[in-house]
Amino acid sequence: MSSVSFHHVEKSFGATKVIHGISFDIADGEFMVLVGPSGCGKSTLLRMLAGLEDITSGTIAIDGRVVNDVDSKDRDIAMVFQSYALYPHMSVRENMGFRLRLRRADRREIDTRVARAAQILKLEPYLDRFPRELSGGQRQRVAMGRAIVRDPKVFLFDEPLSNLDAKLRVQMRSEIKALHQRLKTTTVYVTHDQIEAMTMADRIVVMHDGRVEQIGRPLDLYDRPNNLFVAQFIGSPAMNVVSGTVRRHNGSAWLEADGVRWPMGEVPGAEGQPVVFGVRPEHLDLARTDGDHVAGDVIVVEPTGAETELLVQVGASQVTLVTSGRPRVRPGERIALAVEPGMGHVFDRESGQRLVD
Amino acid sequence: MSTIALPKVEPLDPIRPKRRGLSPWQVWGVALLAPYILVFAVFVVYPVAYGFWLARDPQSYVRLFDDPVFAGAVVNTLVFLIIGINVKMLVALFLSGFFVNTRPWIKWLSILFILPWAVPSIPTILSVRFMLNPEWGLVNQVIFRLTAADGPNWLNDRWLALTMAILVHVWKSLPFWTMILIAGRLTIPPELYEAASVDGASKWQKFRFVTWPSLATLYLTSTILSMIWTLGDFNSVYLLTGGGPADLTHVLATLGIRYLRLDQVDLAMATIVVAMPFVLPLMYFMMKRLSK
Ligand SMILES: Nc1ncnc2c1ncn2[C@@H]1O[C@H](COP(=O)(O)OP(=O)(O)O)[C@@H](O)[C@H]1O
Ligand SMILES: [Mg+2]
Repeated sequence: MSSVSFHHVEKSFGATKVIHGISFDIADGEFMVLVGPSGCGKSTLLRMLAGLEDITSGTIAIDGRVVNDVDSKDRDIAMVFQSYALYPHMSVRENMGFRLRLRRADRREIDTRVARAAQILKLEPYLDRFPRELSGGQRQRVAMGRAIVRDPKVFLFDEPLSNLDAKLRVQMRSEIKALHQRLKTTTVYVTHDQIEAMTMADRIVVMHDGRVEQIGRPLDLYDRPNNLFVAQFIGSPAMNVVSGTVRRHNGSAWLEADGVRWPMGEVPGAEGQPVVFGVRPEHLDLARTDGDHVAGDVIVVEPTGAETELLVQVGASQVTLVTSGRPRVRPGERIALAVEPGMGHVFDRESGQRLVD
Repeated sequence: MSTIALPKVEPLDPIRPKRRGLSPWQVWGVALLAPYILVFAVFVVYPVAYGFWLARDPQSYVRLFDDPVFAGAVVNTLVFLIIGINVKMLVALFLSGFFVNTRPWIKWLSILFILPWAVPSIPTILSVRFMLNPEWGLVNQVIFRLTAADGPNWLNDRWLALTMAILVHVWKSLPFWTMILIAGRLTIPPELYEAASVDGASKWQKFRFVTWPSLATLYLTSTILSMIWTLGDFNSVYLLTGGGPADLTHVLATLGIRYLRLDQVDLAMATIVVAMPFVLPLMYFMMKRLSK
């Protein structure tokens, strides 16, 4: 088990810079998820840590030792690839024991370790099969088995679940999480799926265009996104955002947007300041009492059983609302919306940064 | 909520009714196959049968086996096939690994490299022959300039001349086989090499455990196919040495031509029939591989 640190890491492919100076530390035993839209540089960062790409500038250290010039094979890491990259001509057993075999480990030790990993991953019945004889989920497990057979310092995962169907994905998500709780190996996990990030991570690094947007624990990112990008990337359905101007009068504050008046409660922002106001769908509700409301027209009603999702036209914007139960509203109906007090987020319109109180 | 009406699907007959005559599908099959079978009969079956008919006299074989040139040609053919082809394929295997790298200059080099394969045999092999001329050939002139000594008489010694013929053959067909093996290497997913790197494999181990298992079938098939083709390749020997010196560098392919020029058609055909024991096992291997 080990710590990992990135220090001003940059990466260029030819003249194109794709990683623009990234620094952060991963603690020993931590499950760190790198998340961001496709093409933001997550895989590149992970591959630099794995030694599969050169580091253009900056340093990467494992356990305090800078590994920039250390060969992949000497970094003591294990990686699970999106395509699994199982050796097609080796059985499951040989795939899992390959690293140990290259290290000239004792035959009996290889067998014991492979057997133990197979038991953890419930792969025992398949040890003598070849990768082509396995289902997607089983291959995924073998790829993980290959990683855990030898206690590496760090596990690296690059979108390991994206080739699985939705149900299996959810199942493997919890299996990987359980595996981490059992082995406590430092893990760097790359995904574009924010749900995976939220459910699995100890901490999340949100990346965008080769830069880090925010690092933090899942719920901290959810509750206090640093900027509009994180606000809209984390959470599903995505946070509603409305562009407008802050108005303050007699101790109350509201957002004026296209003639609509959004009550904001106690939020930062000076009178007349152009801002973006954000509110999560679950913090909007059908107004059940009198008070400061926003009027809107229902466009779509989507019941999911326990909850109902409404798409509502408010002024020039469309907002999503998630409410518990099954309210009796129909498309076309005019309703009143209430914003849960204290749950709004305000961002500077120019920079997209969160306004701090 | 609306429901979607499912189209009614007629269940398939579990047992197809037996029909007399041909179904339209079969008629089309026969119609499309007919021209092929015709061409095959006219251009393959007939000449081969005619060849065998010409070589039907057992006396032809007695005379053939008595000809000392024949024994030499068999040995030369075996050397050509067993040493020449295997050296060529090994070099092609090595070069394909070199070219498959994506560095841009290697692309240009590979264009240069494919040239010998793309240009016609007759002028190129003849020009090699001129280059090897002991008195005024380019090679010996360079040797003379550099060492002030006379170079060897390249085409006047059996083994030297045969080696040169093999080299010409290698030079000529190496690009093709290199390309085939490059194509084979390109089908290996790059992540396998990355996984092997992470697993701690050296360059050699990556070849041994990733490249070779994926390439072995193609490599063996190519080797056999190349042997079959080489049995019929008479350019390299005929144009370079003409079978000389003193008919010592003939292979079976050029021996057939030699007998033809001596108006001994039956011996020429007998030579080809004698080559069958070389070809048939190779063909058998090929068929087995291809039908796997
Ligand atoms: N080998 C490469 N050569 C050139 N550009 C690359 C290479 N690998 C990745 N890139 C570019 O770097 C950027 C980040 O890629 P990547 O790290 O794969 O993104 P992600 O994994 O977040 O989807 C992309 O714009 C991609 O086109
Ligand atoms: Mg990626």
